[in-house]
Amino acid sequence: MDASAFFQGGTLVVQHSDNIEHIPFPFQFVKSRWRCEAYRYHTVVPWMQEQGIRNAIPRWQHFTLELHDSRDLHEYQVEALEAWKQAKGRGSIVLPTGAGKTLVAAHAIRHVSASTVVLVPTTSLLYQWYALLTNVFQTEIGVYYSSEKRVLPLTVTTYHSAGDLIAEYGNSFKLLICDEVHHLPAKTWGEAALMAPAPFRLGLTATYPEDHEQTGERWRLDELIGPIVFTQRLEMLVGKQLAEYRTQRVRVDLTSEERASYESLHETYLGFVRERGLQRTHGAGWLGELMRLSAIDPHARRAMLARRQLLKLLEGCQGKFAALEALLREHAGERILVFTESNAVAYTIARQYLVPVISHETGVAERKHILDAFQAGRYSVIATSKVLNEGIDVPEAKVAIVLGGGTSKREYLQRLGRILRKKEPLQAVLIELLVRNTIEEGKVQRRHVPRENR
Amino acid sequence: MLTSELIKPRLRIHGSNLRVAMVNEQDPSLQQIAQDLICLFHRHQGQSQAAWEEAVRVYEGTNVDYVFIRGLAKVLADAATFKPLTTPLPPATLREQVFAYGPVFEKPDLFHPATRQEVLREVADTLELSPGELDEILFADRGASYRLMDPGSTWTPSTLLARYNLELARGALYWASHITIEVASNYKDLWKFRTQTSTVPEERAVAHTAYKDLWRYIKLFKLMFWAETLPEGGFRIDLDGPISPFVSATTRYGRQMAAFFPALLLCEYWRMHAYVRPPQAQGETLYRLDHTCSLTTHFKSSGTFDSQLEEDFALEFEQKMGGKRGHWQLLRESEVLLLGDTVMIPDFVLVDEADENRKILVELVGFWHPNYLRRKVEKVHAAQCSHLLLLVYRGLNVTEEAFEGSASEVIFFQNKPVLKEVMQTVDAMANRIYGPRPKGKRKKKAQSSA
Repeated sequence: MDASAFFQGGTLVVQHSDNIEHIPFPFQFVKSRWRCEAYRYHTVVPWMQEQGIRNAIPRWQHFTLELHDSRDLHEYQVEALEAWKQAKGRGSIVLPTGAGKTLVAAHAIRHVSASTVVLVPTTSLLYQWYALLTNVFQTEIGVYYSSEKRVLPLTVTTYHSAGDLIAEYGNSFKLLICDEVHHLPAKTWGEAALMAPAPFRLGLTATYPEDHEQTGERWRLDELIGPIVFTQRLEMLVGKQLAEYRTQRVRVDLTSEERASYESLHETYLGFVRERGLQRTHGAGWLGELMRLSAIDPHARRAMLARRQLLKLLEGCQGKFAALEALLREHAGERILVFTESNAVAYTIARQYLVPVISHETGVAERKHILDAFQAGRYSVIATSKVLNEGIDVPEAKVAIVLGGGTSKREYLQRLGRILRKKEPLQAVLIELLVRNTIEEGKVQRRHVPRENR
Repeated sequence: MLTSELIKPRLRIHGSNLRVAMVNEQDPSLQQIAQDLICLFHRHQGQSQAAWEEAVRVYEGTNVDYVFIRGLAKVLADAATFKPLTTPLPPATLREQVFAYGPVFEKPDLFHPATRQEVLREVADTLELSPGELDEILFADRGASYRLMDPGSTWTPSTLLARYNLELARGALYWASHITIEVASNYKDLWKFRTQTSTVPEERAVAHTAYKDLWRYIKLFKLMFWAETLPEGGFRIDLDGPISPFVSATTRYGRQMAAFFPALLLCEYWRMHAYVRPPQAQGETLYRLDHTCSLTTHFKSSGTFDSQLEEDFALEFEQKMGGKRGHWQLLRESEVLLLGDTVMIPDFVLVDEADENRKILVELVGFWHPNYLRRKVEKVHAAQCSHLLLLVYRGLNVTEEAFEGSASEVIFFQNKPVLKEVMQTVDAMANRIYGPRPKGKRKKKAQSSA
């Protein structure tokens, strides 16, 4: 039989190679077959042609794509795209956050006009790409991540799920796009790019990794993606994209019953932490230590449970719901995002006020429907648990209400502020609901918030 | 399978060795917990998944053994069927209709003239539901609101604990990069089974097909293997995945290895070395297990025939040639041909009762998909096996040329293989390969494995 090469689980395999005298690097004889990593596809194709080896690797489709997007590319976006084409469609484009990387990528997809897979770090970004690609190409977009798996010629996946997708369908994609490509050198993050034969590759990032971040067991972007083909510096764009916003705090009280159970839970929880001196012995890692102890020590277990109940009590206390209701009435007609700490409370709000909810359980299509309807003004309120604060674009929101004041993330509000990115000048307000005289107040004080307006 | 948070706390690392802290299946207090959970689960039939999870939380109470309790609860839920409530329209459509009115409140105001109850009633009316029913199905598509329809297996405290232990062993492999297993030959024992009359039918079926099942599961879970025969009989099988040689110690295939693991327990004699990188360890650890462990598998051994064609063939043979009527014995799937990174397990082996080394392998190629056939032909070519007889269905899109150059014998058939013709060919092959048949009494001779 004639020699042929096929794709198997992220490798390229040559079979019936008896008549070939010398099979060169990168192929290695592993488990009775000549194999190499799939990303070497573009380098081994010329050799295969020379040897007359039948190439059964590509399974990607070519098609004509039309861009349904009225936005003109900025000059730097055009330059970036040209540079990438010049580099034979291999390499990274470095653009600051908010400079329109996704749009550049959409143009790259149209340029290649073939099956494409996009790798992104978070599910929020996955939704964002899904929405953008659906809009600009007016076609069905596949998604492949923990809760939905649908592979189409244009598919978006997370780095976490990409390995499985590529192992199975790696040869179905001619173009590989890696968003936030600075993650790629990490050991498991790079595997998907290693396993994909895609000859065209595009990396996108605002912060290209340093050389020393690509050594040892880490992957090298040069090898997996290609060189940097274009860099746009931050200073050129700053100040154009961020929204003006102010923050406001609304303090509420616990009812006397709530107060009583709060005090008792607080004593059980922090009493134990104090008694054992966990903060002294374990510093910032004291909570992890408490968690570990809770599987051994009944007192620690009780403290953990008390903590959980306490956070639940604070997030769902009557005062917060009363304040939320008052705010919803007060801002009637304005577009409002309500952020909760937990899923349960987000769904409670959705049920109680009959407003849409977005959580990690919400599928891509429904999520897009909700955001589109919000943008168009058909929905005025969205309840969401932590999901939206990872940097999704909701340009029309004017009011953000944060229910779970218990967060300890430092960048929390800044990040929320970024959500309120917008097209027209419009002052957004960010309202945080806090329970007076509880651990919530302490947490907020430890957090540095810029431009505060009490 | 259990989640990794339910596995991690039960891993014990001693130097470079990994141990899994399993539970004592006989411990009365653990049996009691298992019993409680089984009852609790059955009481939740018809209720939502969220209600079941809440009940488990309540049952846990302040118990420090919550990892164990949640593990049992997960095993129960995994084996059960939860289904969404039926809705007149997809829940997402229901939500669209209802949320178009939001936000609404219990008391109306100038900007929100309709109350929550009024909105629910209005939409519910169009669907011929009550507002309460609409409220209930609004999020029917959330896993949390799925209803427990069928609790699945009939568990006893012992089977539940046994299954929990199996899941723990499996879970350790989530972080495995490479597994080596050895399965020992039991052909000789098998042979004794065949010649003595007192045999337990099921046991024989298990022993017969254990290897076949093993390969089948290895393939099912897309693992890559390398197998070699051991001098003392049996095989050593190295398992990892296609990308493993290029990525040092990838744990990419851990999940598949874990999924595969129960198949190993179908074998009678086995030993496993797994190279595991659990998150709490510094580097690689070694996890060792063998058939002396008390784990039991829930995988079914296939036992039965793959196709009607095979079953009919075996039946006809038994009727016409079985017992004292002929000198050939028909064995099922007991021979494994190693072909590099794949294997072939012929459907039958005919063994001459006068000399157990006189063997003819028989493979039935019936009504199959062309791709399957192409692979089969490739395998036959690769096997270069002169004592292999292929019985090929003529209706297939395959001609005699396809088998040219292979060392094997081929008989084409129209409806079913003609037994007489098959046995003539078998005799002729045996004479050609092994020489004339020894006359007289049965010859006892040590056999060698393939």
